[in-house]
Amino acid sequence: MSSPKKITKKELRQVFWRSFALQGAFNYERMQNLGYAYAMIPVIKKLYDKHDDQVKALNRHLEIFNTTPAVSTTIMGISAAMEEQNANDSNFDSNSINAVKASLMGPLAGIGDSLFWGTFRIIAAGIGVSLATQGNIFGPILFLILFNIPHLFLRIAGLKLGYRVGVNSLERIQKEGLMEKIMAMTTTVGLMVVGGMVATMLKLTTPLEFDINGAKVVLQDILDQILPNMLPLIATFVIYGLMKRKVSITKLTLGIIVVGILLHWIGLL
Amino acid sequence: MVAQAIMLGIISGIGILDSRIFGVLMLERPLVLGLLVGLVLGDVQQGVIIGAQLELIWMGIAGIGAATPPDIVTGGVLGTAFAIISGQGVEVALVLAVPIAVLAQSLGVLVRIINTYFMHRADNYAAKANFRGVTIMMWIPPILFFLSVFIPTVLAIILGAEQVKNMIESVPETILGGLEVAGKLLPAVGFALLLDMLFSKKMGVYFFLGFLAASFLDLNITAIALFGACIAIIVNLVINNNSNNQANDQKGNNNNLTEGEIDFE
Repeated sequence: MSSPKKITKKELRQVFWRSFALQGAFNYERMQNLGYAYAMIPVIKKLYDKHDDQVKALNRHLEIFNTTPAVSTTIMGISAAMEEQNANDSNFDSNSINAVKASLMGPLAGIGDSLFWGTFRIIAAGIGVSLATQGNIFGPILFLILFNIPHLFLRIAGLKLGYRVGVNSLERIQKEGLMEKIMAMTTTVGLMVVGGMVATMLKLTTPLEFDINGAKVVLQDILDQILPNMLPLIATFVIYGLMKRKVSITKLTLGIIVVGILLHWIGLL
Repeated sequence: MVAQAIMLGIISGIGILDSRIFGVLMLERPLVLGLLVGLVLGDVQQGVIIGAQLELIWMGIAGIGAATPPDIVTGGVLGTAFAIISGQGVEVALVLAVPIAVLAQSLGVLVRIINTYFMHRADNYAAKANFRGVTIMMWIPPILFFLSVFIPTVLAIILGAEQVKNMIESVPETILGGLEVAGKLLPAVGFALLLDMLFSKKMGVYFFLGFLAASFLDLNITAIALFGACIAIIVNLVINNNSNNQANDQKGNNNNLTEGEIDFE
């Protein structure tokens, strides 16, 4: 028997760079599949010499795939490790490669979405926007830096971790409920930041004034005494309620433009 | 104008390719594109301010899962550009950007449908172990994505800039004032979208905690995020671990209650 086939740093580096193009050929039928297969090509070339083995491997990775792009490298690392086993062990069940991909893409997308879309992006954008609304060009720059430090770190670390520890450790993590814990923690931070943004970034005040026995009463002052930023809070929950009732976002946005003009016309806002 | 239009088209192209071949580095967000549009049109500050407002509105819009969201790239670039070119402020950008994003979305859907064809051709190449063929099928769709925003952006700037400018100048004051109000209301859509993603009865209290921290304590977003991280660690790692251990110790006693059943033995 020939010496065992082994993936080197070179292939892993190629997988890393190719992973950025994951959604390049996104389609409704199998989503990120073509991007995934493209990322795995260096691994397949390295491990398989026979035409038939290459065809099988390419077909495997052209199956449907969809996850948060930032966590995709973790799954690619695992796939690479399993392909390596498959190339060296004739008893290895190659079906398990896709079974693992399919079982991991959901849970990891759950973590990836809440970590990157629901937390890092929100925090970075919150800080970036608060600078940018004053016309400060560091707003957008800081936004990019704050988001991409954890993002690129996880892309690299995830690939290495996936390749090194493979399936067993990730299954263990999932069984121990660590994934749920991470999601709960990121949701906590995300929700608090959104709450803070509703209070600081929605500038809604009413210009209404009343004359009561000659005394001028400013409605906004009264509202502020009850709960500062009450109007932004109400507006957010009215729209959230409409969303829960399945009103489409397009209708909501266009509706708000009309409502805004009306409310201004009658002098309420 | 043509040179600027082409540069703006390239900015749209970079934005749309961010999610496609740049691994979603957040270049696609209006906050970033606004800066670039401002650079091209010679008013960086306006670009950054408008980008920030559009970011607030669309903060909740992210391409999660298989759904195709409104095209915030074309909407953001054209909305910002028209607002700067017409000399009108943020309100104009908001009101133009939203319908443009919805219109442009259909082109994105079209490209994703066309891509299925290239995917099937990739299957054929894979059957012959033709790596080069698969790779080419992978790289044609990004070109389509690029063109799907580059062409509309360039055409809209060349053909539309004058018309948009005239149209906006003829709008009466009351409407412009109303649009300003709408502009202040619209970010609530972004926040509601985020709540849709994060809010639940069990977790909802953290939203109010953040809201109250900003309203009464005047904490900024950075401070809230840091406190939030500490609270998340305390609640999920410190308290829950302890209660889990206790629950394990007293398993025999507690089981019946947590299951909601009464065991008469």
